[in-house]
Amino acid sequence: MRSKSRRLTAVDILLIILMILPFAIGILLKVLTAPPSEGISITGARVYFTIPMPIQDLPITEAQVNSVLVLISIFALCLFMTRGLKVKADSKRQHAVEWIVEKVEGLVKDSMGDYFAGFAPFIAAIIALSALSSLSSLLGLYPPTSDLNVVAGWAVLVFALITYYKFKCGPLGYLKGLAEPVAFLTPMNIISEVATPVSMAFRHYGNVLSGTVVAALVAAGLQGLSAMVFGWLPGALGDFPFLQIGIPAVLSIYFDVFSGCLQAYIFAMLTMMYVSGGFPAEDYEKRKEKKQARKNKQNNIHKENLEVN
Amino acid sequence: MQSLDIISVNLWQIVISLVNLLLLFLILKKFLFKPVKKVLEQRQSQLDAQYASADRAEALADEHRKEWEEKLSTANAEADAILQSAAENAKYRGEKLIAEAQDRADGIIRAAQTEAELERKKAADGIKREIVEVSGALTEKMLEREINTEDHRALIDSFIEEIGDGNE
Repeated sequence: MRSKSRRLTAVDILLIILMILPFAIGILLKVLTAPPSEGISITGARVYFTIPMPIQDLPITEAQVNSVLVLISIFALCLFMTRGLKVKADSKRQHAVEWIVEKVEGLVKDSMGDYFAGFAPFIAAIIALSALSSLSSLLGLYPPTSDLNVVAGWAVLVFALITYYKFKCGPLGYLKGLAEPVAFLTPMNIISEVATPVSMAFRHYGNVLSGTVVAALVAAGLQGLSAMVFGWLPGALGDFPFLQIGIPAVLSIYFDVFSGCLQAYIFAMLTMMYVSGGFPAEDYEKRKEKKQARKNKQNNIHKENLEVN
Repeated sequence: MQSLDIISVNLWQIVISLVNLLLLFLILKKFLFKPVKKVLEQRQSQLDAQYASADRAEALADEHRKEWEEKLSTANAEADAILQSAAENAKYRGEKLIAEAQDRADGIIRAAQTEAELERKKAADGIKREIVEVSGALTEKMLEREINTEDHRALIDSFIEEIGDGNE
């Protein structure tokens, strides 16, 4: 029977559980530690406990925990998707995972060039982590992307990559790039260098957080409106926020689903653009050729010496 | 339970988040991209191998076809040669037969001629003898007496000889 290969094995089920379990743990943690409701409160991530560290104490927050949970979930998803890969693909799972891999590689190659083909897993990681983090708010979890620290970490990594590829042509080339097009613009260039990760981090964080804030405000507003409109109803019926049914869901589609995915995509696109755009590909090629030529020359001289001897 | 401020920067949290992203990058690289790309590469190489074998088979078939065509053409030539040689042979034999027949006919004609000649000679001899006898009897009657046959015969013989010679 062919269906045998399609049936879920025990390991598959275990992996699916491992995919869902992190989110369940997150929800459980949130419910267990939820403070009594006190109207509108727009705060940052909840702090579970604080670890004393040098320079600055490290508070373990909801955002940190949730992002690790997302990480574990993606890991389980990976293992689940790549289970039972065959040369002759016969499962939907394999088609899906191949489609994903090929799409990401195509995207990376299209927008960064063949030299950066190795960036595909990194871009996939950014998209997956960012999108799933933002979407975790659908489950009522605190989305890690609405914590500035989380997004700032990614932005710092991207900044490091941008600078690394700019340095590929040597520190002199990098410094010369800062003084272009005219020397007195150098301070501006330095600011724009630093502004890149800052703007990336704030853009992502701000978009997701604004969604949360707007959703909280709308919910509170609707509660008030509901009390005004239906307040004359007797008893508990009068206190029930009828207007809170449905309308927040529509907003959630935009702020959580659409905005979350869009911000993930934007962050990935900006990463690709900045890294490949900052890399002086032509200069690098020339430098490489020069190096190669010098090496060849040296080799030739060496050979000649050998022959003479 | 406290919460963070809505904008709060914490160095360690940033570092942890950075490490998280790096970790996920490594996870995706090792557990998603590597196996999938391996499978894709295997499929590609299998495909290449199949293409190569198909090409080989085609080349082989081509070779065979050419061989057969060559064989066919040589067979045609051979058949032509055989036919030609057969025709030549037949012609030669026919000519030979005709020549033999001609020879034989010539022989027959010659034999008939010689026979006819012989017959003619025989007939001439017969006539001579008749003439001798008749002339002998005539002379006997004319002279009315018995003459010495021996003398006469000699005489007439020489006479006829002269006549015959003159006739010939």
